[in-house]
Amino acid sequence: MTSESPAGAPDGSSRPGDLPAIDHFPGTGPPDAGAEPVAATAVWHRLHPLSPLVSAGPRLAAIVVVLLGIALARQRQAGGDLVSDLVIVAIVLAGGVIRWLVTRWQVADGVLRVDTGLLRRDSRRFPLSQVQAIDVVQTGLARVLGLAELRLRVAGGDASRGGRLACLRRADAEHLRVQLLAMAGAARVGAVPAAASAPSAAPASGVRHETPGHDRLIFRVRPGRLAGAVLLSRAGVVAGIVIAALITVAALTGQSAIVAPFLPIGLGAVLGTWRQFNGEFGTTVVVAEDGLHLRSGLIQTTVETIRPGRVQAVRLVEPLVWRVFGWCRLEVDVAGPRQHHENRGEAQRLRAVIPVGTRLDAEQMMGKLLEARPLPSLRAPRVAAWKAPLMYHFLGWHGDERYVVASGGRVCRKTTWVPLEKVQSVRWVQGPVQRRLGLASVHLDVAGRRVAASIRDRDDAEAGQILGRLPDLARAARSRAAR
Amino acid sequence: MTVPLAIVGGLAGLAASVAVAAGIAVALLLAGVLCERFLARRVAAWGYAERKDDLLVRRGVLIRRQSVIPYGRMQFIDVTAGPVERSLGLATLRMHTAAAASDARIPGLDNTVAGTLRDQLAALGEAQAAGL
Repeated sequence: MTSESPAGAPDGSSRPGDLPAIDHFPGTGPPDAGAEPVAATAVWHRLHPLSPLVSAGPRLAAIVVVLLGIALARQRQAGGDLVSDLVIVAIVLAGGVIRWLVTRWQVADGVLRVDTGLLRRDSRRFPLSQVQAIDVVQTGLARVLGLAELRLRVAGGDASRGGRLACLRRADAEHLRVQLLAMAGAARVGAVPAAASAPSAAPASGVRHETPGHDRLIFRVRPGRLAGAVLLSRAGVVAGIVIAALITVAALTGQSAIVAPFLPIGLGAVLGTWRQFNGEFGTTVVVAEDGLHLRSGLIQTTVETIRPGRVQAVRLVEPLVWRVFGWCRLEVDVAGPRQHHENRGEAQRLRAVIPVGTRLDAEQMMGKLLEARPLPSLRAPRVAAWKAPLMYHFLGWHGDERYVVASGGRVCRKTTWVPLEKVQSVRWVQGPVQRRLGLASVHLDVAGRRVAASIRDRDDAEAGQILGRLPDLARAARSRAAR
Repeated sequence: MTVPLAIVGGLAGLAASVAVAAGIAVALLLAGVLCERFLARRVAAWGYAERKDDLLVRRGVLIRRQSVIPYGRMQFIDVTAGPVERSLGLATLRMHTAAAASDARIPGLDNTVAGTLRDQLAALGEAQAAGL
């Protein structure tokens, strides 16, 4: 299953450690129109030669800044320092170069294989039928160099289970993504031999998703509105308050030194707001054959495909201030690992299909994601107002044989739709207050980032009925989906 | 467990005076009885039922919970036994689904029961397995 012995490599294509045998370097030569750059199976490829620079980019920048600072601080012996500085930079780069030298990848029989590691060889296989989504990510430096990173998302587990190809040339990356998705689709249909031939059947130029053809743009976020929305969101408001507090304190006391220890807090708040803006800037959603293509980012851009059958949950979020403007946010949960650089707070957040938009945008998008969805029209019983006075006015649920919808939230209204065939488990919970009032809650868990549709504070009898019926409905939906 | 503890506490209290000793003994006795009742109710509240297509796990006294986990959704099953559990011949069975939130834990199962239940559930899970 893992790695073959060096001598036993099939069809003598290459052996680990036998570097000159690699036939093709995507990105080093001009793209050959005749030869498929990636479709030829069982050929080992290598990442782009500039990838060590890109992956070392942030670290390198930090080191350069520090070294420059030191050099400026004592300008006299600049000559001697320069050599040692260069040595440090070279050491940082050398690791990346070695990593690049020993990393190879291959697509064969519907499996993407990535081999890496100098001392401890690491050979990973990603059966494409298991892949949930493939993202193209570009960091700032990669964008300047025209490179992109390919990330494979596999259900469950953490990011270490997902695959990364960093970096490829941007066009190659997008091309490869389309091919892998096509192979994944073919593999899922069950025709494994067809998987190998699928990419060559798809013409190299016709499948690129930039080509307009049958792709249709259905949403584009407005930059001005996004800026306003981010500033009016909770993180933005907190950042504003922190900064205002710091400035007033500094102005009142007349000593800016007092606020200096608190500056990191202000900086953190600003950075959080900026990160959200940066990540969601320019979000566009395109309807394509294989699902919705989601592209976003200001400095670091991400391209993601949401396949229709892979949506685990859809959530509509309407914060208090946004409701005044009629704005809302639409998020989807696609089962995937947490990216390693995301912190816990970010991991809890779902992928925003609409970072901010009108109700009309959201309705239109939901029409693409869900078919004939129910609305949370069944309100909670009146007694629930005693248990959840702040949440009562938003509580509601409804369900049919395909979806369950539940709404809740205190200040910020959150409505979650869950397809029944994606329900992993059903939990019934009753706290002491709820018991006294004759209430109970039912949670529907789906795979992924701790999302659950919570049907809160229902009548005891109704909750019992939900718990009794939902597993059967979910099973029926599953068997319908499997057919 | 409670009575010997109360006696030991009372004997230790004798060093001060008889009244202190009696007080300590009575307090320990009361606390022990309360604890035991609490634990007994807690243990009694745990329950599970193997149904045709799913497993039902019930627990909690103050906050009551019931979880329904379809066999087809089980990703893997753990049987763990800590040092205390091992010394008593017990084990805890835990079922994992792809959702992090669904917790289905059955503690205090007899070792052999846990083993057979695990195999049974695994077989059922394999028979009804469904994709994500």
